Amino acid sequence: MMDPRESIIGTRLGRVGRIIGFSSAKGGVGKTLCTTTAAVVLARAGRRVGVLDLDLQGASAHIFLGVQPRMPAEDRGILPLSAAENLFFMSASIFAGEKALALRGSEVSDAIRELLAVTQWGPLDCLLVDMPPGIGDEVLDLARLIPRLEALVISTPSAVSVAVVRRLLAVLAEMRVPVSGVVANMAAGRADSVREMAAQSGNAFAGEVQVDGAIEAAIGDVVRLASTTAAADLCKVLAAIGLL
Amino acid sequence: MHEWALAEAVIAATSSVLAGRDPSCLKSVSVLIGELQAIDRGIFDFALSSLWEEKPFRSASFTLRTEPAELSCRACGCGWGLEQSPGLTSANREAIHFLPEAAHAFIRCPSCGSPDYQVVRGRGVSIENIGILQSCL
Repeated sequence: MMDPRESIIGTRLGRVGRIIGFSSAKGGVGKTLCTTTAAVVLARAGRRVGVLDLDLQGASAHIFLGVQPRMPAEDRGILPLSAAENLFFMSASIFAGEKALALRGSEVSDAIRELLAVTQWGPLDCLLVDMPPGIGDEVLDLARLIPRLEALVISTPSAVSVAVVRRLLAVLAEMRVPVSGVVANMAAGRADSVREMAAQSGNAFAGEVQVDGAIEAAIGDVVRLASTTAAADLCKVLAAIGLL
Repeated sequence: MHEWALAEAVIAATSSVLAGRDPSCLKSVSVLIGELQAIDRGIFDFALSSLWEEKPFRSASFTLRTEPAELSCRACGCGWGLEQSPGLTSANREAIHFLPEAAHAFIRCPSCGSPDYQVVRGRGVSIENIGILQSCL
């Protein structure tokens, strides 16, 4: 038995520029906030951006972007939903709605391959992938299925986060996944621990994103998201990794 | 149509298996269509036929076979088929059509109600066999 889907993934992503997984081995460090806000910043700067939410069991990128789950249009595949001008979105949440998806590893892998094989992204400057926490199926599958995947690694300054994210950086190096930068989120002016971790692992520190009290009120509204201080901080991060 | 994307995947996979061989070496391709994904067989057949004709291996044959879905509960061991998963709405079915793993949002074990089950067979599109002419092996 042969799975034909993997053979077409390269073609599906053929007109996509850089593909960056917003990654962290630790949960709750703000991956989804950074992914979606960065996408909004890029789209408003005129870039064509895709957001792929691969946090299958904890999907929430659609909530940040204010996308109501609905069945996608079809054209020789499924078309990503439009989240804003220049901003396109795909997620398992489109299909599961707000219901829980209790998936085991092989089912996660199947869902990832299906989404990559049938989504017609068309031309994009970049595809930002919101990764789930951990170093599990999503990270391993994506690295295998998309050889040109880059990782933007996110950590808070907490010693707990730094310790766990350090392991992710080691695994990414072993898998030869290039790290475009390491970001200190919720930095609150004390990003030194993240900066040191980046230096010690031989990676570039891409900048810091301050705690932003305005974020909660901006969730679901891309215009307000774009005017947060987090968006301004992410602007600098995107410039540091060559996306702006 | 979504079926086109999967038909393209079958063609791409067939081409990759043939890599390095003369296209005339291809004898046949057998494709399984899982019941769970509820692919429109007519559209899929048309898409595959159309794409097939564009390739140099168009003299080879392909066959489609539908595979019934079989689900198995990891909690209580119950096995069941789709006909024992009543109550799926057309919207649920459409979601599963696009992403078969969406079944885990809508289907529960009919015996114990657990969401922890596996689709043993009949999930989606797979290639059962690619036949290569003996003289090419």
